[in-house]
Amino acid sequence: MILSLIVFLPLAGALLVLLAGGSGDRPDRERVVRTLALAVSLVTFVATLLLWWRFDSSSADYQFVERHAWIPAFGIQYLVGVDGISLFLIVLTGFLTPLALLSSWDSVHKNVKMFSFFLLALESSMLGVFVSIDLFLFYMFWDFVLIPMYFLIGIWGYERRVYAAVKFILYTMAGSVLMLVAIIGLAMAWAQASPTGTPSFNLLDLQSLTLSWPLEKWFFLAFAIAFLIKVPLFPFHTWLPDAHVEAPTAGSVILAGVMLKMGTYGLVRFAFPLFPSAAMHFAPWIAVFAVIGIIYGALVAMVQPDMKKLVAYSSVSHLGFVVLGLCAMNVQGLEGSIYQMLNHGVSTGGLFMIVGMLSDRRHTRLISEYGGLKAVMPRFVAAFLLITLSSIALPGMNGFIGEFLILLGGYLWNSKFAAFAASGVILSAVYMLWMFQRVNYGELTNPKNRALPDLTPREWALVVPTIAVAIAMGIFPVAFLRPMEPAVKRTIERVTGRSFAQTPAAGGWRLAIWNGGGVDRQPPRRESPGFKPPAGVEPRTATREPRSAGAKNHD
Amino acid sequence: MTEYLGLIPLSIVALSAAAAMLAEAFRQPGERMWIAGLGLIGLFGAAIASGSLWNSDAHSMGVIRSDNFALFINIVLCLIGILTMVFSNEVIEREHIPAGEYYALTLFAICGMMMMAAATDLLVIFLALEILSLAVYVLTGIRRSSAAGAEAAFKYFLLGAFSSALFLYGVAFTFALSGSTRIEDIGMALSAQASGSPSTVALLAVGLLAVGFAFKVSAVPFHMWTPDAYEGAPTIVTAFMSTGVKAAAFAAFARVFLSPLEPLQAHWIPVLSAIAGITMIFGTVVGVVQTNVKRMLAYSSIAHAGYILLGIVSANRDGKAAILFYLLAYAVTNIGALGIVALLGTGRHQHDELRDFSGLWRSRPGLTGLMTVFLLSLGGIPPTAGFIGKWYIFSAAIQRGHYWLAIIGVLTSVVSVFFYLRIVVMMYMTEGSETERPRVAAAALAGLALAVIAVFYLGILPTRVLDLALESISTIL
Repeated sequence: MILSLIVFLPLAGALLVLLAGGSGDRPDRERVVRTLALAVSLVTFVATLLLWWRFDSSSADYQFVERHAWIPAFGIQYLVGVDGISLFLIVLTGFLTPLALLSSWDSVHKNVKMFSFFLLALESSMLGVFVSIDLFLFYMFWDFVLIPMYFLIGIWGYERRVYAAVKFILYTMAGSVLMLVAIIGLAMAWAQASPTGTPSFNLLDLQSLTLSWPLEKWFFLAFAIAFLIKVPLFPFHTWLPDAHVEAPTAGSVILAGVMLKMGTYGLVRFAFPLFPSAAMHFAPWIAVFAVIGIIYGALVAMVQPDMKKLVAYSSVSHLGFVVLGLCAMNVQGLEGSIYQMLNHGVSTGGLFMIVGMLSDRRHTRLISEYGGLKAVMPRFVAAFLLITLSSIALPGMNGFIGEFLILLGGYLWNSKFAAFAASGVILSAVYMLWMFQRVNYGELTNPKNRALPDLTPREWALVVPTIAVAIAMGIFPVAFLRPMEPAVKRTIERVTGRSFAQTPAAGGWRLAIWNGGGVDRQPPRRESPGFKPPAGVEPRTATREPRSAGAKNHD
Repeated sequence: MTEYLGLIPLSIVALSAAAAMLAEAFRQPGERMWIAGLGLIGLFGAAIASGSLWNSDAHSMGVIRSDNFALFINIVLCLIGILTMVFSNEVIEREHIPAGEYYALTLFAICGMMMMAAATDLLVIFLALEILSLAVYVLTGIRRSSAAGAEAAFKYFLLGAFSSALFLYGVAFTFALSGSTRIEDIGMALSAQASGSPSTVALLAVGLLAVGFAFKVSAVPFHMWTPDAYEGAPTIVTAFMSTGVKAAAFAAFARVFLSPLEPLQAHWIPVLSAIAGITMIFGTVVGVVQTNVKRMLAYSSIAHAGYILLGIVSANRDGKAAILFYLLAYAVTNIGALGIVALLGTGRHQHDELRDFSGLWRSRPGLTGLMTVFLLSLGGIPPTAGFIGKWYIFSAAIQRGHYWLAIIGVLTSVVSVFFYLRIVVMMYMTEGSETERPRVAAAALAGLALAVIAVFYLGILPTRVLDLALESISTIL
């Protein structure tokens, strides 16, 4: 019950907001609506924390599973559950939505009722994406997410909002619909293979399906393109800067904080485990684009005059890291990726809030309009600095753990990728610190900046939780990595066929990443039932660098 | 007596049509009379009759068969009729459309549509086709003062007559082939000849019948009349005919092609597949550049005909059930969307240009919300009826191995979302024009509420209706 409660609570809140807001745009109801929406999102956040608290960290299975027949004739179920991979994305969604609502407190005044409605509806559908195990249910949430976001950008955005909103929805939808064809194809393949002849959309069923190589290849590509557009991986990233720049602050926070992760989550939850041999086949290619994206995003970010655009391109770069870690498909890479998804949500969400605060005060986001802000708003600059450091992965902050693990995993897989990707870490320090310096240090040259007020109490409420989480995640990563690990290991087993030693190392429980990720103790590759490598693809044997040898075969 | 059971639903509608005519004749000049009420009584009666005939498979005189397939379509048609009636009252008054004629013709058209869905004899299908077509031609041009209406009606009439002739020609060839116009006899004759390649006569017969149906469902390249007729007709008539004619024509199309002509599948499936693909692409691509909402929805209806054709070329159990589900989903959605356009029009001003919708959000937030739901459903976005309809149709096509048609289908859906969103952009994201917009009556609002509930019901809990659709096709397997 708790999962359905979490997913549909915001939606119920959204409908309540519609009722409370009266008909039409009623500025006199603004306060009621805002408070109600915030309260609903906070209750949802508490519920997600409760989920984390009750989550069994030692299990790799789906927990809190709910299963109801929905369209039985087609094997469609309402099937939801949570494992270590999705758990924190749910918590992240719960964490960022109240902040997004709060960040728009003073900047959005046009029809607050509908704004809150769309934001809460968006939260519901994103949570739905993360809990669905049935592919049909997943697709419904996945596709519906676009609608509230489209309205948020198109109605409450900046100057070119209509263009950005339409580009956003068409671009991402064009990718998704091919996935719909693949999902249907997959269910039909199940219907042919199963004795009853009914299709199934259950992920756990479909994972055990053996597909012919051409089918597997095309299905994987259809899934992967849908997810990679959402990530967005270079060269599919062109919708992102437009959408980010034109979206209102709350939209940017959610877009960067949660929606981009739907793409990487889709890869690790659906695309890789459903089509393991195709995933292994294409992983090096995806990694190449991920590395190009890391460097390209960083270089383009460096020359942006607009702060929001800079942060948007930095997302392209950071998400490149996440995809690289996924492609490595080892414990370090995968845990790093999932960790980095959370980090990016916290720190980039924080950066968009910071930019939003400046933009609320001065109605411009151009770096050249600022300079020397330290003199007038020192507390704001301190918060800005901490969030910047979190974004550029300073040791002790959250970003470091994620990027370090990804580079480690990438190195174990293929040292060349890791070497190129590492340059992205340096470049990110360059573009972020350079922007920070131009905005905050130096002479206060622009007279319009002389009287800027420092952080208001509401803004304190935005930056304090963000920074606290960033530091906590930098200091206690184990609290997050531990619940992830069983699910991560199971995913790796499913995709690569490697198996992990069951007994924990001597001296109590330790994370696999600290003792070599189980790489040392691997028995020869297990032939899982249901998995048949296509002709020309050798099953990978476990070596210290299990993937690089195999990857060469395909090149 | 059981001989006449199958005729009950359409007789009820015919009676209410006659009552509407008489009511108009006996109406004193200037007297207000709620003629729509007569129609509503008839339509509710027909729906109830159809419901109680469910599973009875009543044959009448060997040419009308009220099997579940026909009854499902009957209920869809009653729904279309009821929604049309509740939207009509104010609209026809504002547009100075003669009420008696309007309601009588609409009801006679529905009667023809029901007959078409239930007919099992090609000649009766032709008869039904003519009943509904003649009524709809007149409805198209019912605003006698409007030049566009007259032009649309004339164009529709000429091309429609032409297509009827082709259809009749196809019936003649079929008769030459099998010595009968009864569907089951044709089926038997064809399967007897199934060995070896079919004769030229057989191919001609199939081709001409396909052309006749393709005209009525407005598939490319037989769609020429659609945009002009939809634009020129009063909006409420556009709403009615875009959904009703399509439902009836597809019902007969499926009944004729999916059982008696099954032995010739290998010959007509490739042709109809090509037509389906071209129809989907053409309808959406041309729809993108339209600036008139009625014309845009006309092209969208062409594209939707392409999607439904996928169900026909899938020629499997799911394909047939998907046609039924899609027709229902399309009916409630499209009549809702066009109904809103009609309700916003005044006598002087049609409210059908894109710019007329600018800023609608500020003056009519509720109607804008409903319109958004209908447009998203037309675009096939979950959780609406349009999404489930498309999903089901594409599933059937993929099951049959028509991967390419499914891919064309999903990609054209994305393109179509672009033009549906143009209306949304106008409504929400453009500052308002000071267009004069009339009040919407309570009955019409109730109708819209019914349509929107249906859209969400079919989109979120489709199980019941999907099962009914699957039950309905047992007689045309």
